[in-house]
Amino acid sequence: MTTTHGSARLDLLDPFEVSQLGGLEVVTEGLVEGFLAGLHRSPRRGFSVEFAEHRMYQPGDELRYIDWKLLGRKDRLYVKQFEEETNLRAMVVLDSSRSMAWSGAPGHRLSKLDYARRLSAALALVLLRQRDATGLVVFADAVRAVLPPKVSRAHWLRIVATLARVTPGHLTAAAPALNGVVEKLRRRGLVVFVSDLLLDQAPTLHALKFLRHRGHAVLVLHVLDPAELELEGPAEVRYEDPETAAAVVLRPRDWADVYRQTVSGVVSGWRQALRREGIRYHAIRTDLPFGRALRDALVRPGGIA
Amino acid sequence: MIGFLHPAWLWALPAAALPLILHLVARRQPPTVPFPAVRYLQQVTRDHQRRLKLQHWLLLLARTLFVLAVVLAAAAPTMARDGLAGHAPAALVLVLDNSPSSGAVTGGTPVLDRLRVAARGVLDKATTEDAVWLVTADGVARRAPIDRLRAAVDSLSPSEIRLDLGGALGQARDLLVDAGRPSEIIVLSDLQATALTAAEVTVPVLVGVPDVVPPPNLGVATLDPGPQPWSPGKNRVRVQLLGDSGRSSPLTVQVGARPGRPQLGSVGAAIETTLDAPTPGWWLVTAELDPDEFRADDRRRTLVRVLPVARAQWDPADHYLDAAAATLRDGDRLRDGSEVALGWLGPGPSVVTPPSDLAALGSLNRALERRGVPWRFGGPVVQEQMSDSGPLLGATRVTRRFRLVFAGGAPRGIEATVGGEPWIVRAGSVVLIGSRFDPAWTGLPTSAGFVPLVDALANRLVRGEQALLTGTPGRPVRLPDAVEQVLDGPRAWRVEGGASWRAPASGVYFLRSGPDTVGAIAVNLDPRESELTMATLAQVRSLWPGSRLVPLPRIREAAFGAGARGHLRGSLLLLALLLGLAEVALASLRRRGA
Repeated sequence: MTTTHGSARLDLLDPFEVSQLGGLEVVTEGLVEGFLAGLHRSPRRGFSVEFAEHRMYQPGDELRYIDWKLLGRKDRLYVKQFEEETNLRAMVVLDSSRSMAWSGAPGHRLSKLDYARRLSAALALVLLRQRDATGLVVFADAVRAVLPPKVSRAHWLRIVATLARVTPGHLTAAAPALNGVVEKLRRRGLVVFVSDLLLDQAPTLHALKFLRHRGHAVLVLHVLDPAELELEGPAEVRYEDPETAAAVVLRPRDWADVYRQTVSGVVSGWRQALRREGIRYHAIRTDLPFGRALRDALVRPGGIA
Repeated sequence: MIGFLHPAWLWALPAAALPLILHLVARRQPPTVPFPAVRYLQQVTRDHQRRLKLQHWLLLLARTLFVLAVVLAAAAPTMARDGLAGHAPAALVLVLDNSPSSGAVTGGTPVLDRLRVAARGVLDKATTEDAVWLVTADGVARRAPIDRLRAAVDSLSPSEIRLDLGGALGQARDLLVDAGRPSEIIVLSDLQATALTAAEVTVPVLVGVPDVVPPPNLGVATLDPGPQPWSPGKNRVRVQLLGDSGRSSPLTVQVGARPGRPQLGSVGAAIETTLDAPTPGWWLVTAELDPDEFRADDRRRTLVRVLPVARAQWDPADHYLDAAAATLRDGDRLRDGSEVALGWLGPGPSVVTPPSDLAALGSLNRALERRGVPWRFGGPVVQEQMSDSGPLLGATRVTRRFRLVFAGGAPRGIEATVGGEPWIVRAGSVVLIGSRFDPAWTGLPTSAGFVPLVDALANRLVRGEQALLTGTPGRPVRLPDAVEQVLDGPRAWRVEGGASWRAPASGVYFLRSGPDTVGAIAVNLDPRESELTMATLAQVRSLWPGSRLVPLPRIREAAFGAGARGHLRGSLLLLALLLGLAEVALASLRRRGA
């Protein structure tokens, strides 16, 4: 597998086309390679390092590591020694409820779950390449898989294998899964919540706020199928929720406009509610190239994540 | 009250249910589509359902009303606006019932005078732009300028012709079919119950209801002088009275100028009286009641022919004929003599049966030819058949007969037939019978009708039967075949025998064939005219559905209601347009605002 597919970068191709090129692991690596190549700067730049100890200055040491404050106090040259480490501990929390398994155009567009699966894998790989310990939680009506955060090639392979095995669950119970993350991330870290957010907003918000309260950076990736944004269909349709079997009969043409406004309101509502808590939020359509989704999710002014 | 110019369109009213039916049909189970964002749809519908449901029902209502408005507009409804000073140019048929009953006097005033006043009021309201017809009892629809119609109304007198009001309405409706303007029929009548018949009313009908009750009446309904001709001596006359008066009235029946003996008559049983026949000839018989408020039916006339009984000769060997003739002779209906030959062709009036010797048939036919009789005896028919019933005799078995053949032209003078073929025929004073008076030929000699038949043959048919017909003024009477002329004093009408003829007025008319008087018609009022009882308003409404009844004095105000009717078609079309726009707006609103 190369970084690009032919002359094109995989991270910019249509997600469905990309999914046809190979297995999850291979495709994800290609995606991440393309994504990182497009950043034009070292992913390590911006890595946080942690002070370890002082040692006496030796000729050849870089002057920028001299601790000038200590020189003033003790009149000796000391240099700061830093221990490069996996400062960031990240946890990807993936919603695998039945609603995520839906595609508005089966055979032409990835389901939300397939998209989210690849996006999560790519995120994990990017984070691992930054030597950030990355873990994975998969949930539906209950927590279905948990991989604690670690930094290793083998861990990456476990994440990929876990994601590949994910099957759609039934209902969505996000709060217990998010609460479980608190136990896995004892130090401050990054929580990436990938879901279609077709769940009860209040408990989910409460759990996310709790994560934020514990000092974690939280990123919510709201996965949306384009067909969920625009109501289309025959003259009259009986729409049935695959999770709850709740049904609504209506004429799509009559309701298209108000539905569009409603969905827009829902997205705005999530964004505002999360922003108030300092939680980053991105609505990602399943026809959006993975590279752009990663950029939205990871790139902030001054660095990644 | 609302009327319709094209009520047939009202049959399309059920189409108004079409939107509802389509709505129900369209409520089939739609296809199910999995859709995870149902919670958003639930939120959307929850917020807008009430408004949408209201819009939906308003839409259904608008569509239903739209169809209703269009159908009603097609039916062209009009609404009466009484009392308006003017009216749009209209077509109007004024049915003025001057039938005999209109001559009845109530409160000192003839009914016709009251109707005339009402008619004048209607005509006064008419303008030169209106098309007005006047239909009276004679059945003639007159269209003329208003002044001439007014003059016609003024000069109108009670007619002797009965008016069928239902028929008059039908005639009026036909007149207005292509009027192309607001149409109306006004009926001014005494609304005699017996004159009211059903009519299909498709144009507005205004009926003037008399405000007075008709007087109790008693009239002579029938005057039956019995079998003709009369013979000298006592002859019986039957009279029947008709009317709505329970009282009795003196009745006088007289022949010629001889004063009759009055007797009390009332409605119900027939009154029989006997009159002495005067000298041979035609005589007028009159039955007359004391005068009452309706004079026209107080007298009834007819004619009788008085003849001396026939003097006849017959063959005593013809046992059955001999027995019948003897019976008639004993009853003074026949005398011995040579005036009439019964059984063979004599020099005078003859009743001819086939000869017992068939060899004599040829000479008999030649003798008939010499007498100028167009009938001949033809070939024999041996077949048991029944004679066809007719006025001369009823059905009788016929076993053997000779065909009677008419020599030249269309057969005339057929009195009785067997299997559709002539069996008894008459030409002048000669009567031919196809069978002998023998039970081996026919069952006639042994039947009860044989003696009356011989009486009729000897006294009437061979002596030139005198037809005594009855009729009513203006109604057709079918004349006997031989009639060429109808006479009423100095007045004469050339007629064709067998055709119908209408007597212009009541009276007695003689029927002539060449120089001979072959009968008479007694023309009297239709006896139903004697019943003056007025129809109830319910009966009028039932027979003329949709008609509008107003008191006769108010007919002028209500007249030209069709012309002064508000036409609702324009308003309905405007309403339909508004409803259509509302439908489009609601549908669009529903689509965009759902």
